[in-house]
Amino acid sequence: MDRSELAQPFERMIAGLFPPGRVREGNGWDAERREIEASGFLDLLAGDDALAFDHAVPLFIVLGRHAAPLGIGREMIARGGLGDGAEAILLAAAIAGAGERVLEMAVAYANDRVQFGKPIGKQQAVQQNLALMAEHVVAVRLAAELAAADFPDGGAMKAAVAKATASELAPRIASAAHAVCGAMGIGMEHDLQLFTRRLHQWRAEAGSETLHSRALGIAVLADDRSAVDWVRAEVFREA
Amino acid sequence: MFASFTFARIPADYEDLRATARRLAKEAVADRPMDVCARSWSGYDAEFSRKLGAAGLLGLTLPKEYGGGGMGPFARFVVVEELLAAGAPVAAHWIADRQSAPLILNFGTEAQRHAYIPAICRGESLFAIGMSEPGSGSDLASVRTRAERRGDGWRLNGQKIWTSGAMHADRMIALVRTSGSAEDRHRGLSQVIVDLHAPGVTVRPIKDLAGDAHFAEVFFDDVALPSDALVGEEGQGWQQVTAELAFERSGPERIYSSVVLLDGWLAHLRSTGRADAATTALVGGMIARLATLRAMSIACTALLEAGESPVVEASIVKDLGTAFEQDLPLAIADNLASHRDEPVSDELRRTLEYVTLVAPSFSLRGGAREILRGIIARGLGLR
Ligand SMILES: Cc1cc2nc3c(=O)[nH]c(=O)nc-3n(C[C@H](O)[C@H](O)[C@H](O)COP(=O)(O)OP(=O)(O)OC[C@H]3O[C@@H](n4cnc5c(N)ncnc54)[C@H](O)[C@@H]3O)c2cc1C
Repeated sequence: MDRSELAQPFERMIAGLFPPGRVREGNGWDAERREIEASGFLDLLAGDDALAFDHAVPLFIVLGRHAAPLGIGREMIARGGLGDGAEAILLAAAIAGAGERVLEMAVAYANDRVQFGKPIGKQQAVQQNLALMAEHVVAVRLAAELAAADFPDGGAMKAAVAKATASELAPRIASAAHAVCGAMGIGMEHDLQLFTRRLHQWRAEAGSETLHSRALGIAVLADDRSAVDWVRAEVFREA
Repeated sequence: MFASFTFARIPADYEDLRATARRLAKEAVADRPMDVCARSWSGYDAEFSRKLGAAGLLGLTLPKEYGGGGMGPFARFVVVEELLAAGAPVAAHWIADRQSAPLILNFGTEAQRHAYIPAICRGESLFAIGMSEPGSGSDLASVRTRAERRGDGWRLNGQKIWTSGAMHADRMIALVRTSGSAEDRHRGLSQVIVDLHAPGVTVRPIKDLAGDAHFAEVFFDDVALPSDALVGEEGQGWQQVTAELAFERSGPERIYSSVVLLDGWLAHLRSTGRADAATTALVGGMIARLATLRAMSIACTALLEAGESPVVEASIVKDLGTAFEQDLPLAIADNLASHRDEPVSDELRRTLEYVTLVAPSFSLRGGAREILRGIIARGLGLR
């Protein structure tokens, strides 16, 4: 199945169930559980005709894009009987989704907000920060996609790559978005905080960048291959 | 956002190619100390490049009728990755293989293709890129070197600078003004092939801060060019150069400039057995960045393979990749200097010193960081 084909109905459902107003109330997802349960999405990763794991990445990107409770994702992982590595990889995907959303919000704000007689997005300093932010968002998504390919083969090291990258970049993406959105983004009423709050929570969840980096470092130092050979074999699983 | 810029795998078809590239690269670096290997991009070894040509490892993406490999961009990715990871000397074919031959294929006449491409694929013909001038760096459209019609051909006057490999090269593809003035900007620019041995051409090597002379100033004093020196159409130079820069920015070479140093440091840590918490976190953090960047570079190659021109995506990979290349020597220096009682080999020290000195060039060559971020900002809809 094409990834967007898969993500679109999920996106519609999650966007409908978790509009910013409801996310702001933050009552978990118990009220929504029945509806999601009925849709069958919670079992997508379980059973004989389960989705390939790399298709879970777009689903978790959707959860991130809507700051949806990760309980949904956790339930999907549990029903699929997937291990710890799965959670770290899918958290990285959720961070990619939230990052993508705050990038869109920051770009829209930069084109809209006028200071000194022109949109702040015409200022080179603002453009440079948003460009770097886009680089980081793309990096997190590619790290998650890389890790999810052929999972669980090479799962532990791939999960460490994905979560080390996502956790390293999540706070930088959040700070860049806040810098662009000014005081407006600091207000409780503005949606930005719903996403940057998640970025910080998900960064720490299932281990931060230092924890995952150490796991990689220990494995690399216990080996004798070059950096590129190690990465090709243990992360990309190339022959 | 950037939806087509997504994870891809290198097709398995290129494993033989990888094995050949690896064997030749290993042979070439066998007697070279680490700090010489770290100079991979600027390492000039004509014999090695000819060997690569004979083994069919150059011009991989060019059609077979011109002596190329008739393969896709992934073939080149695999070979370049092996050469750079080993620290093999690539300067003698680098520019011709990466940029000049594809440019001539895309914009040249049939006669030009047959005249230049087969020799490039054999590793026997060296090209240089003549874009920068003393007054034109990032603002490339302001070039003043001029080619004027004279009889059948052209007369060339002006100066280029920072031209990599000009002292070894046979030819330069130069961006020049053929009509109008610098104020006309993108209009009136063309690309010409200049024989660097022709009368009126003077090449003066420039030493870099490490003491190496890998680039040069090139002066043109009324140099006569034949009528077929023009590549592509007169006045289309800007469009052609833009297409050329997409080849230059999208390869794996924007990740691996410090990888010889990284391996030297790993070998040092393995031999001392030091695996303290700070060090393992640092090593792992660098490995995570390397893996992520490699995935990004492969994703970019997949877009090239699909026939797209991933200008924004290539800028994303280059900016993030060069930041990684630049962070490595700083982090390694800190790590070594925080264990002062631990002996470090002269070879590793020299390599570290060299990479530290040249690292600022990584985010200048091929387009400065701020310029790339401007391209990305435009891709985000901000300009
Ligand atoms: C090792 C090496 C090899 C090279 N090889 C070649 C070669 O083979 N052929 C060739 O033609 N050139 C070559 N170059 C030149 C290279 O292309 C230029 O260095 C590069 O394009 C930048 O130009 P510049 O050095 O003149 O810097 P400048 O353009 O003067 O820029 C200096 C600083 O100002 C910033 N800046 C400039 N304009 C703007 C702007 N509008 N907005 C924001 N910031 C701006 C830049 O980002 C940079 O940080 C080489 C350079 C190096 C270092």
